[in-house]
Amino acid sequence: MLRRFGFAFAVAALAASTPAWAEDKQPVTQKTCTELLSFYKSLPFTEVLPIAEGPVSVPGKSGDLTIGFSQTAFNHPWRVAMLAALQAETCRHPNIKLVVLDGNVDVAKQSNDVRDLLARGVDAVLLSPVESAALVPAARAVMAANVPLIVMDRDVPTDKTLFIGQSNVTMGEGVAEKMAKDLGGQGNIVVITGLKGSSPAVDRDQGMKNVLAKYPGIKVLATGDGQWIRDPAVPIMEDFLTAYPKIDAVFSHAEESSWGAQLAVARANRCKDGIRQYTFDGSNAGFKAVKAGAFQADGNYTPFIADIGLRAALHKLMKKPIPGEASYKFPGRQLVLPDSPTVVAGNADQWIGRGWGDFEPTPDPCKK
Amino acid sequence: MPPDALTASRSRRHIATLTRGWQRVGVLAALVLLVIMASLLSPRFFTVPNLLNVLRQVSIVGVLATGMTFVILTRGIDLSVGSLLGVAVVLFAGSMDSRGTAVALPLGLGAAALAGLVNGIGIAYAGLPAFIMTLGMLSFARGLAFIYTGGTPIPILNEDFYVLGNGYLLGVPIPALVLLVALIVSGFLLGLTPFGRSVYAIGSNEEAARLSGVPVRLYKTIVYAISGLMSGLAGLLYTSQLSIGTPIAGQGYELDAIAAVVVGGTSLFGGKGSVAGTFLGTLIIGVLANILNLTGVDPFVQQLFKGALIVVAVFIMSRRT
Repeated sequence: MLRRFGFAFAVAALAASTPAWAEDKQPVTQKTCTELLSFYKSLPFTEVLPIAEGPVSVPGKSGDLTIGFSQTAFNHPWRVAMLAALQAETCRHPNIKLVVLDGNVDVAKQSNDVRDLLARGVDAVLLSPVESAALVPAARAVMAANVPLIVMDRDVPTDKTLFIGQSNVTMGEGVAEKMAKDLGGQGNIVVITGLKGSSPAVDRDQGMKNVLAKYPGIKVLATGDGQWIRDPAVPIMEDFLTAYPKIDAVFSHAEESSWGAQLAVARANRCKDGIRQYTFDGSNAGFKAVKAGAFQADGNYTPFIADIGLRAALHKLMKKPIPGEASYKFPGRQLVLPDSPTVVAGNADQWIGRGWGDFEPTPDPCKK
Repeated sequence: MPPDALTASRSRRHIATLTRGWQRVGVLAALVLLVIMASLLSPRFFTVPNLLNVLRQVSIVGVLATGMTFVILTRGIDLSVGSLLGVAVVLFAGSMDSRGTAVALPLGLGAAALAGLVNGIGIAYAGLPAFIMTLGMLSFARGLAFIYTGGTPIPILNEDFYVLGNGYLLGVPIPALVLLVALIVSGFLLGLTPFGRSVYAIGSNEEAARLSGVPVRLYKTIVYAISGLMSGLAGLLYTSQLSIGTPIAGQGYELDAIAAVVVGGTSLFGGKGSVAGTFLGTLIIGVLANILNLTGVDPFVQQLFKGALIVVAVFIMSRRT
């Protein structure tokens, strides 16, 4: 009996504490609207589909608009930065309510999340899928309910209102081209991939392979699974350094894994080898590392597309045309974004501050 | 303890010690076999720098597995160790540069130990199943780590801290030394103190241990607090080796730790096993990962080897006893 009361009390206490939490700070990013509005000014794509600050009026609808966002997960700062861009746009329009769901890197959960958003009666769905193909049924459900569906980052090969994203294949090609040039078309490289089987890892790898097909002198010695993060990359690189006396470059799908590889290089006393680092992610910390020479190139993959996603959804609700949308290889339409150049020593200064994340880079262990 | 219960437990302990001895020989033989195979497969495997690398690579999971051994010996399980590591990591990273090591170390270790204590109280006093209590803590603690950081990693600039994770003392990587100290202290606690004997007794037969006067609830609570403290220590190794405090640190490590304990011959049904076995189990898994990388085995295929190793090792061990 006592235990049951205790449980009820605990649940009540938790429930009572949540509104207090949500009052001034936005969920997940823990930022206030004031902070987000000043952050909005630094976003790269605010001139795409612009909407003036203030309440948004939609024909045939009075009162608040509810927009649902189903995100892959919030386990990576890139994903958090993407949400921050969306929250910043939301803060500009007082009559928009945002419902954010965390897919937890699980296609089954995300599929349910999207249906939950429909059940809540949202006016539009923003979706950044865990996995392209697996979210097809959920995307169909949204379209069948006549709710605008804006897909961001990873695409879904079925009908949608609009897809907004950059190509990981061409970005992979850009970074690999820079590597091939730096190496003079000759050399031994090791590859540390993103989480194996995930679509950006597959696409970045494809981009690299497209380029290496033109450079038979560049040999891939070995490939490891860095899972986008730092800790698995360290032992992988340590073991590669042990196995291969001559490594010219590391092609890593994520900045975090590149830092792991760099730590391993320093530990193995191989800094003097001048092993080059090619990476992706497009964080400000990564750009600073490029400027400092720790990385030779950083694929500029911006998370700041979710604000465009919201504006696109609002355009649809306001029955306004979306300039720049076009048909493409999948059903539905695509908004083509200007290509962000690969960040290298020459242009790093222009990009520092326009990437994502406000944390500092790891001190380069080879410069200690 | 009544006299006949004492003799009974003594003779049981005698048998347990014997089988434990056998198991350890089995695990050791497996490790030796693996090392020989690895040396044949890659000329670079059996070199001092590589073996020291392996020791450092296994140090984090090794420390977790050492704490896990206490828990599994009592026939419990601790699924929260990876998340407690994560909490410790973000606390170390968040306070190291601003408040200094003297504040950061007790803060991170203390928080992890405290969470372990909460696990223990939930299991021993509130009667929750260990699986459920620690599963809840796994999610709860991970949530705390995310809230604390707002989902963004915290880089660490402190130089002394870098040395802790990357330096050497007498030619041995410091993290490996930390693991060895944790193993020796744990081995002493389990093998040579009344507390340690009670841990085995609780795992063999909790009711009998309680009847013979072992403070079962208190000791079970302590066991989870130890596991929490070890998670904090593993977090210290993580943060100092990787120079970063990320809220996802240690995700899934609980399964690696359980695998190391089980491959090391400790029974999931409690009462049988040792930290020495756990150390060997940790090394077996570490050497396997190392040789797969050295020989350039595709990462997709590496998972097959790891899975097969766990099943085969436990199958062989269960044949022996």
